[in-house]
Amino acid sequence: MKSIKIIFSLLLAVSLVACQYEVSPWSTDVDCPTSVTIEYNKARLQAIELEEGPRSAYKVALLSDPQMYPGAFENVIERINARDDISFIVLTGDLAETGIKAEYEWTCKAMSKSNKPIFAVIGNHDALSFGTDIWLDTIGPENYSFTYQNSKFVVYNDNKYEFANVPDRDWLEAQAVVDIAGGEVREHTFAFSHIPPWPEDLELSAELEGYGFDLTLHGHEHDFDFWELATVGLPHYVASFTKFEEYGILTVDGQLPYVLENCRGSVCTVASARSVD
Amino acid sequence: MRFTLSLLMGLGLFSSLAWSDAPETDASQSSWLDSPYLDNTYAELQSGSLLGLVHGSLGKIFAHNHHLKAGFGYVPKMDDHAEMSMVSFAYRYQNPWTIDVAGKSVQPFSVGVAVLRGEHRRLFATLPEKYPDGYYTPTAFRIIFNYQANVQITPEIEVYFDVSILDVGMVSYVREPEFFNDNYEFLGLEGITNWGFGARYAF
Repeated sequence: MKSIKIIFSLLLAVSLVACQYEVSPWSTDVDCPTSVTIEYNKARLQAIELEEGPRSAYKVALLSDPQMYPGAFENVIERINARDDISFIVLTGDLAETGIKAEYEWTCKAMSKSNKPIFAVIGNHDALSFGTDIWLDTIGPENYSFTYQNSKFVVYNDNKYEFANVPDRDWLEAQAVVDIAGGEVREHTFAFSHIPPWPEDLELSAELEGYGFDLTLHGHEHDFDFWELATVGLPHYVASFTKFEEYGILTVDGQLPYVLENCRGSVCTVASARSVD
Repeated sequence: MRFTLSLLMGLGLFSSLAWSDAPETDASQSSWLDSPYLDNTYAELQSGSLLGLVHGSLGKIFAHNHHLKAGFGYVPKMDDHAEMSMVSFAYRYQNPWTIDVAGKSVQPFSVGVAVLRGEHRRLFATLPEKYPDGYYTPTAFRIIFNYQANVQITPEIEVYFDVSILDVGMVSYVREPEFFNDNYEFLGLEGITNWGFGARYAF
């Protein structure tokens, strides 16, 4: 009987230590390290570029929609970690499923394992519940940009059901402008958002092309896709979700068209853009 | 800070219960089976374990071991939480196996499930019209699984310690246990569990 008491007391003590005291599923104090913030990763990438100097080619890993499967997402992160030819990762949205603290924390755990800079794009699911508050506190702004190797990467919010007046077209146009007077050298301009141009808003493709974007990259659809409007010619690439350890690779080496690969595990195949009327 | 506090509380409880001088035979108070609590109506007050800073319920015991209750919870505006209320409906099975710990009757095995509905403009119980059909499942509803250890203080009053797991935590843990084992302590349960405490009074 005394052994039962001891076992019970031990279990109780372990429970107290192991568990968190939470008043509801909708708290916003997410336990995520600063290494997942946009500002941290911008600085990290800048430091890497300073150290490596100019390079003629680089690769970017495109991961998306890790929601509900943090383990599979972590596996992909570890696979990317093992590759020396990839400079950084862009995670195109839906870090959470219902926008709650627990989901964000699990994804953060996996993100923090990356040995490369990782930039997150806000997805529609990320904004559910109090997810917008969590995003702003934990990741950073919804729209932002950064540069690397004479390329500009512009990340924008286009989750139209969850946010008003998105995407911010004026901001996008301004981001695409090359600051020639300031001495900027720009060879490529890429745009990232969670959702590819909506079917009812395909004129966005023409607008982005007009602003000067060379390629847009997205997630959301939980499958690979690669298309361009026949009348516009701006390619849109969609990375699959990480549930089955799928991800994309963008190669920038001065050659056109850009090489995009669809990968599952260690197997990658070159994607071909389909023309859409 | 939270971890340190939990560790101190756990060690204190462990020390007081494990090395008590209480007799190993029946508790000095009446048996739990004689308690007016049985097959009765009760009022309950809880804090934490995902049901609110405070959560009051009314419950009824059926067939000795089966509890049904409905409750109302509240969280005030805090730095990390919006002010909101919530309602719950829960079932719990309290196994009658009783052990004596420090002179108190303890029923260490009680498991349950609750449906929680949060009330706030940022949550929805039915999909707003702006969304296409089936776009999301309602964000206001959550399912919570829980375990309790119950201690009878008097024939009318029971206190308990509660450990809960949110629906998505249960699903994720079953689906990808290795992720939680790799990233969290205590077989990964640290990543999905929450604790709370409460008391009941039988009418």
